[in-house]
Amino acid sequence: MRDWEALVEERLTALELEPAERAEVIAELAAHLGETCEEWRRQGMTEEEAIRRTLSQVEDWQKLTRLIQTARIKENIMTNRVKQFWLPALLTLLLSMGLLMLIQVFGPNPWLVARKSGWSLVAPVAVVYLPWLLSLPLIGAMGAYLSNRGGGSQRAAFGSIIFPVLPYLVFFVVALPVMAIFNEHLAHNIMFGALFVGLFAWVLAPGAALLAGGLLAQFFLSRRLDSRRIAGS
Amino acid sequence: MIGSGIKRGTAELAILSVLEGSPLHGYEMARRIEQQTKGALRFTLAALYPMLYRMEQRAWIRGAWETSSSGRRRRCYRITPVGKKKLSPLRREWAELFGALRRLTKVSNA
Repeated sequence: MRDWEALVEERLTALELEPAERAEVIAELAAHLGETCEEWRRQGMTEEEAIRRTLSQVEDWQKLTRLIQTARIKENIMTNRVKQFWLPALLTLLLSMGLLMLIQVFGPNPWLVARKSGWSLVAPVAVVYLPWLLSLPLIGAMGAYLSNRGGGSQRAAFGSIIFPVLPYLVFFVVALPVMAIFNEHLAHNIMFGALFVGLFAWVLAPGAALLAGGLLAQFFLSRRLDSRRIAGS
Repeated sequence: MIGSGIKRGTAELAILSVLEGSPLHGYEMARRIEQQTKGALRFTLAALYPMLYRMEQRAWIRGAWETSSSGRRRRCYRITPVGKKKLSPLRREWAELFGALRRLTKVSNA
């Protein structure tokens, strides 16, 4: 008797699905081929003829792989990507930006970090909004929770947590150096200092705050999931 | 030549219609469609499963593994409430199309 699962597995090597989902597809197609072949045999065909007729159901396995892949993944990825990454990421960004604006308008004065020369501050100056920094762990935790609830991977959760600092990262790593190169009115002697101070105040410190809350939430969420699994087993 | 949109539309209608009667696994579904249409509609494995998976993604049908009395495991598909809702406008659209084609061919034959 023919091993239809081995045959289908061999022909669908390019099928990229989650292992469990892939195994399901292979088992289902193999069962279909097996039943078709049995039917031909019942009708009196020789085994070779039945197998040949059965296999003629699929003219192009590569095309079938592509069609299954598109049918099972395309719509899935779109909705999953939104649930697991884009929605939590945009919510954390929106919330952190909104909170920063509120703190800038209604909150206490920012903390200015700079070298002092007599009574005056010397550039580069870092403007740090402490209440904002303190609120970021909560926002990071929310990003982790939402991504987790949507079934997101650790990578998706990580992306959602640090998403609010990405615009600043792009600014300091790409926009500022480009401006420094093309704008001759910028004082180049303070640019490197400003770059590092800015990176610390707007990327590293907020990123660390977001990650502190987000990773802690991830840790507790995964522990809760583990305990549920243990209880369920 | 019948376009892929029309083919897909008829296939969706055929699948939803046979599943409306009872839950079926893929092989049985293909046989049932072939028998009920007296061989006019035939689904090969390559045509059937991508269609089933697409319809499942759209939540028109739902598949679940079941073990038969002979111990054979098969994935059985059921029509969902979303699929049932989709079925009546599909039937209407196809009835209109075939009605229009019938009228047209009668006129051109006259």
